[in-house]
Amino acid sequence: MGQVTPLLEIRNLHAGIGESPILKGIDLVINPGEIHAIMGRNGSGKTTTANIIMGHPDYEVEQGDVLLSGEDLLELEPWERARSGVFLSFQYPQAIPGLQVGNFLRKSVSSIKGDEAAKGAEFRSTLKDAMKALDIPRSFLSRYVNDGFSGGEKKRFEILQLLLLKPKLAVLDETDSGLDIDGIRTVAAGVNSAVRGTSTGALIITHYSRILEHVRPDRIHVLMGGRIVASGGPELAIKLEEKGYEWLEVKSKAEGCA
Amino acid sequence: MDTASEYLSLDEPDRSSHLWRYTPWRRVHPTGDVACIPEVGSPSLRLTDLDGNAAPNGIRLEKGIVPFSGLPQNDPITNSFLQAASAGSQWTLIIDPNFSSIGPLLLDIDSGDSSSALHLSLDVGRLSELEIITRVTGCSEWFGLLRTGEIGEGAILNDVVACTKDKGTLLRVDSISLGRDARVRAGTASFGSERTKADLRYMMGESGSDLRVLGSILSADTMQLDHHVEIYHDAPETFSRLAWHSVCGGCSRTVGTGMLRIADGSRGADASQTFHNLLLSKDAEADSIPELEVLEHEVVGCGHGTANGPIDQDQLFYLGARGLDPSDARIALITAFLNSTLSEMGSSTLHDWLVELLVGELESLVLDPLEN
Repeated sequence: MGQVTPLLEIRNLHAGIGESPILKGIDLVINPGEIHAIMGRNGSGKTTTANIIMGHPDYEVEQGDVLLSGEDLLELEPWERARSGVFLSFQYPQAIPGLQVGNFLRKSVSSIKGDEAAKGAEFRSTLKDAMKALDIPRSFLSRYVNDGFSGGEKKRFEILQLLLLKPKLAVLDETDSGLDIDGIRTVAAGVNSAVRGTSTGALIITHYSRILEHVRPDRIHVLMGGRIVASGGPELAIKLEEKGYEWLEVKSKAEGCA
Repeated sequence: MDTASEYLSLDEPDRSSHLWRYTPWRRVHPTGDVACIPEVGSPSLRLTDLDGNAAPNGIRLEKGIVPFSGLPQNDPITNSFLQAASAGSQWTLIIDPNFSSIGPLLLDIDSGDSSSALHLSLDVGRLSELEIITRVTGCSEWFGLLRTGEIGEGAILNDVVACTKDKGTLLRVDSISLGRDARVRAGTASFGSERTKADLRYMMGESGSDLRVLGSILSADTMQLDHHVEIYHDAPETFSRLAWHSVCGGCSRTVGTGMLRIADGSRGADASQTFHNLLLSKDAEADSIPELEVLEHEVVGCGHGTANGPIDQDQLFYLGARGLDPSDARIALITAFLNSTLSEMGSSTLHDWLVELLVGELESLVLDPLEN
């Protein structure tokens, strides 16, 4: 039986901003069709992980590898990573006044999937269906990108892009933050629709276990101090919900002493 | 005294004046010899709809101008000079009372190959409703455009002046008075000419008028585009907003100066002005100076602000994360920045026309796409 090439493989990743190290040796493997979640406190390195996968220029990789289907992502510019199949749902999506949502979606789909994909009835039909699934009104298309959007609208718009771009790997950085219960369900349904039953993989970064009840990840990892200190199945999220992060902190320190 | 004699009797303005701080009169005079009024030619004019069909009944161009006493705060140099220089080319755009157009109209002004000037008088009838784009084209070394007139009571007018002149200097003066309850959007889309000096003045002398002055300015290479806007509230319950967006690339320079005057007795006036500049290169320069003169205590609001900056790196990263390469992302951000004001100038039809014009100009200008 042939070995499956991982969709995402992160090996011994050390990275930070300027002189400040944030990630201190991350190892992570996501296979096609798998959903993984990273949980952790503020400042543990979750968003840094997402930004490094996407290639944010403020972050520097000191050592390690990030591979997408065996291809070295660190050599690519952000736009090249996007065209290779990486999608980042931003924690704080940028507002771009003057750029209409409809035009932006066409430009983005055209850049990633080719001009033909952004034209004609099929694009319009996919867009219409995705907007309906996410409860986004048609008037949204004439608004400016994230300009004056509520927190929930921004997150739904990110998932709309996920549904249109159909990436190989979706990294969702706190897409559930600031959403109410209905919003979490809608967004989770969008994520399931984009990933379940496909070869797309997903990395969900979150503070809370609520979205994981709807998305059901295959693996959960806990990031603490720039290292993954625990990994497990969905039961790990339940344990974190009950006990918080302190028991892992104690365990991690004890293992460090030993 | 005729206008030529009036001009010749005036001293050359010094640079302490708000209007002449950045672009001295000598540099926008047709010859640079400010003691003379050279003979200049006449531009050609054509009034149509956006598809090139004849304008409908109720709007027309007629030779000659409607007498206009001018605004009290007009600059004497430019007004008298342009009136004298355009003596052979005076037209009035007459819009009948209650006229209503279905789509935007287009007044094409071809400035020709040699220097020319035009005095265009606006006679906008009461309760009329229309959108009109005045497009200035041609490759004349110098073109002077004086627009004077009154917007009738209750009229609704979206009035955009778009300059795509290939080269040379544009000297433009607007001196426009708004009638009671008139609603005017006065747009400037300036994407051409090597040098522009515009002095745009609006008088809100009757109550209830509503004015939005919008600028979308694109400069590249060594262009110098200087726009001065004065809005004068001289009646109760008047409303104005000035929003000016300039993009500067290459070694170009843009200037935006504003003066907002609220006269004593203009109770309930509500006014603000903002200037935003997007700098695309280290050698580009943008200056914005808004000024206020408020003599009435009971105003709803009166404010101003400016902001300058390069292309936002986080916006670039966001667009990169959506697959746009750096060049496409920059063009998208430049277009978006200018579109913020273009989109406020009128209907979606008018807006689409302006965006097409902008995209065409962006393709032809050198904007240092990779420099920041």
